[in-house]
Amino acid sequence: MAEPLLVNPDRQFIQDVLRNGAEDVKKCYQCATCTSACPLSTEEYGFPRKQMLLAQWGLKDQLLEDPSPWLCFYCGDCSKRCPRKANPGETMMALRRYLTSQYDWTGLSRLMYRSAFWELGILAVVAGVIVALFTLPHNFGFGLLDRSGPAALSTVMLDRFAPVGIVDWGDKILALLLGFLLLSNAARMFLKLTRGRNIPAHLYINEFHRLVVQGLTQKRWNACASNETVKNWLRHVFLVSGYATMFILVVLFLPWFQVENSSIHWTSFLGYYATAVLLATTAWILFDRIRKNTEMHRFSHFSDWLFPILLFLAAFTGILLHILRVLNQPMPTYVIYVVHLAIVVPMLVVEVPFGKWGHLLYRPLAIYVAAVRSKARELAAQTEGVAVASEAVASS
Amino acid sequence: MYEPATTRADKPILVIGGGITGMTAALEAAEAGCRVVLIEKSPYLGGRTASFHLYFPKLCPPVCGLEINLQRIKRNPRIQILTLAELERLEGLPGNYQATVKVSPRYVTEACTACNACAEVCPSKRADDFNAGFSKTKAVYLPFKWAFPLRYVIDRAACANGCRACVEACKYEAVNLGQQPERKTFSVAAAVVATGWEPYDASRIDNLGFGKYPNIVTNVTLERLAAPDGPTQGKIVRPSDGQPPKQIVFVQCAGSRDENHLPYCSSVCCAASFKQASYLRAQNPKAEITIFYIDIRMPGRLEEFYSKVVKEAGIRLIKGKVGRIEGEPCTDDLLITAEEILAGKKIIARAGLVVLATGIVPQTRGLPPGFAVDEFGFISGSEGDFYIAGCVKRPQDVAASVRDGTGAALGALQSVVRSVQSG
Repeated sequence: MAEPLLVNPDRQFIQDVLRNGAEDVKKCYQCATCTSACPLSTEEYGFPRKQMLLAQWGLKDQLLEDPSPWLCFYCGDCSKRCPRKANPGETMMALRRYLTSQYDWTGLSRLMYRSAFWELGILAVVAGVIVALFTLPHNFGFGLLDRSGPAALSTVMLDRFAPVGIVDWGDKILALLLGFLLLSNAARMFLKLTRGRNIPAHLYINEFHRLVVQGLTQKRWNACASNETVKNWLRHVFLVSGYATMFILVVLFLPWFQVENSSIHWTSFLGYYATAVLLATTAWILFDRIRKNTEMHRFSHFSDWLFPILLFLAAFTGILLHILRVLNQPMPTYVIYVVHLAIVVPMLVVEVPFGKWGHLLYRPLAIYVAAVRSKARELAAQTEGVAVASEAVASS
Repeated sequence: MYEPATTRADKPILVIGGGITGMTAALEAAEAGCRVVLIEKSPYLGGRTASFHLYFPKLCPPVCGLEINLQRIKRNPRIQILTLAELERLEGLPGNYQATVKVSPRYVTEACTACNACAEVCPSKRADDFNAGFSKTKAVYLPFKWAFPLRYVIDRAACANGCRACVEACKYEAVNLGQQPERKTFSVAAAVVATGWEPYDASRIDNLGFGKYPNIVTNVTLERLAAPDGPTQGKIVRPSDGQPPKQIVFVQCAGSRDENHLPYCSSVCCAASFKQASYLRAQNPKAEITIFYIDIRMPGRLEEFYSKVVKEAGIRLIKGKVGRIEGEPCTDDLLITAEEILAGKKIIARAGLVVLATGIVPQTRGLPPGFAVDEFGFISGSEGDFYIAGCVKRPQDVAASVRDGTGAALGALQSVVRSVQSG
């Protein structure tokens, strides 16, 4: 029997998780059908029954030290089998939303997950800043265009509107800032998952490949047994390849990507690939969320809609911008350029450090730490075994 | 004042269902002096109780209790029994109902002495539904050894074309293949509905593998495997190889308390599994038995039984519902996935035999419309002189069904009194 446990419920945690999609969690009667039905849960990391209990009882501290919510890829078998229709799959999703808001130290994520108005408000403010950047200064955007004379109004001359050097600096600064925020949140997560555990340093190195491989391939998803798994996993891998391509093009190769004339450049082909993939996968995902035909898509939190919608709009305005430039439509090109950035920048600012996109780091990190913790436990058990054995030898 | 029916021509009570509940209601009413028409759709009385090996918690065979009831029924001239009979219509006003009953042909008349000469010559076989299909009978058969009425019955669907072997073999001229369905009407004062239950179809719980692997049986079929008059003469063996299982796993709430299946607790399965674990151990003291459960629900007098069985060696209780059962490759064994909640560990147990504790589904087919049904399909009540008793009303054990039958008989008797007073 377990030690007596003093339960100190965090009621705000319960409220937040209920609001984040776990509204059926209190129907759970702890029968553990979910954990036994789950193809990913193991003896060591058994879920989602335990996490249902954490959410029901408000055991926030235990949750923060538990990598399990990120080890789940939401095949939905648990919800399908749940005899109480308590939706353990969606509860795990709600816990991931909650954890994302907890890792963030600025508090903005919490506000956004609690209220769609905050999320839309922040998006609008950032979009406003972008529009202002293109309309207020006299030496950038429409101000620069006014001073560049009529040539830039008859032919597309992006350099007379948004000089690539300035934009390039802008996106590098943005990438560093958002990267810093995301990494600092991930560091908080990492500390919560590892603090107070006796983990030898070499294990962090031995297991590091998991972080990279899982981050790039999301391979673990395939261990889900559901029929939808392969489809969802492949779609996700393509989606990742699309935005990774776009990210590299924009952050590292902007001087080659944002070109002046109406010619097709080598970067165009990579851009076409990324755009096609992003448009197709986000539209498909939205379609599935509307049809609610799989467990994974039956319930959609506000954040689940916002992310694919913004990504779709970003890709759509991006390709529109490209078409207008190739067709040599100066004013429409400039306007769509601003619109494109007024979607992309707020999307990144909100999603990367504070929103759903964070899972691109949190998930592989959790898989990595879970493996490290397992190995540490194995090692400890071995040394204990050796100690017991040598004691036995000594006493004999 | 009411006087015994033997001296008056008042209307009988119709009892629908000849299981333990209906038999009890019929007897109580008849012994109080009222006439009773008891109809039963199968060829014998006793219902599901007749197929059980042992009762819980006393672990005694139902045969003896049923036998006493059958003796009382045989002695009582006021009970008219119709087997192979189904209710077609029940119409009328309180105190005065017309019941139309369809009686299917038995093809064997009352001249039958159960000598078995017919079955000896019968060339055709049928799956024995009384033994859950684990054995076969001839097309002409006695439902089971001590069936009442003690008369053979012919399953015409199983007969060979044009075969008359049984007719020729019967020296009492009891076989009549020309029998036709009959329709009988009765004027009755009240009706007792005791149509009973059926086990939940375990093959619908697709994650538990029933129907896919031979060594997964239900609690209801285990009763037949354990019964001395069952297909294995009471030797509990694995269907795959006929060997006694060493490790047996019971899966509680197989369908019950599950909104995908039966949202309610079937109330008897915990005690039934404890009973079965207990007689499995008695038969094979080395058997290792594991019972996976959500909660053990054995209140009242059953708690003592619970305490007794829990103390038995070799019976292990694990809190955690089974989510998956798969066959072990290359063997007939089964791998049972569950989470041992109290240890917080996901485990895979192995078993040679898995018993699914399937639940109780109310049996309401063939009843005329007009009965109120609750959210789960149990009959909750009706307008008029209809009294509901037994498992068609709620899941309950034999003892409770018997009490229920007695209560229903009292209500029906009062209806008869009212009909006499007003008419």
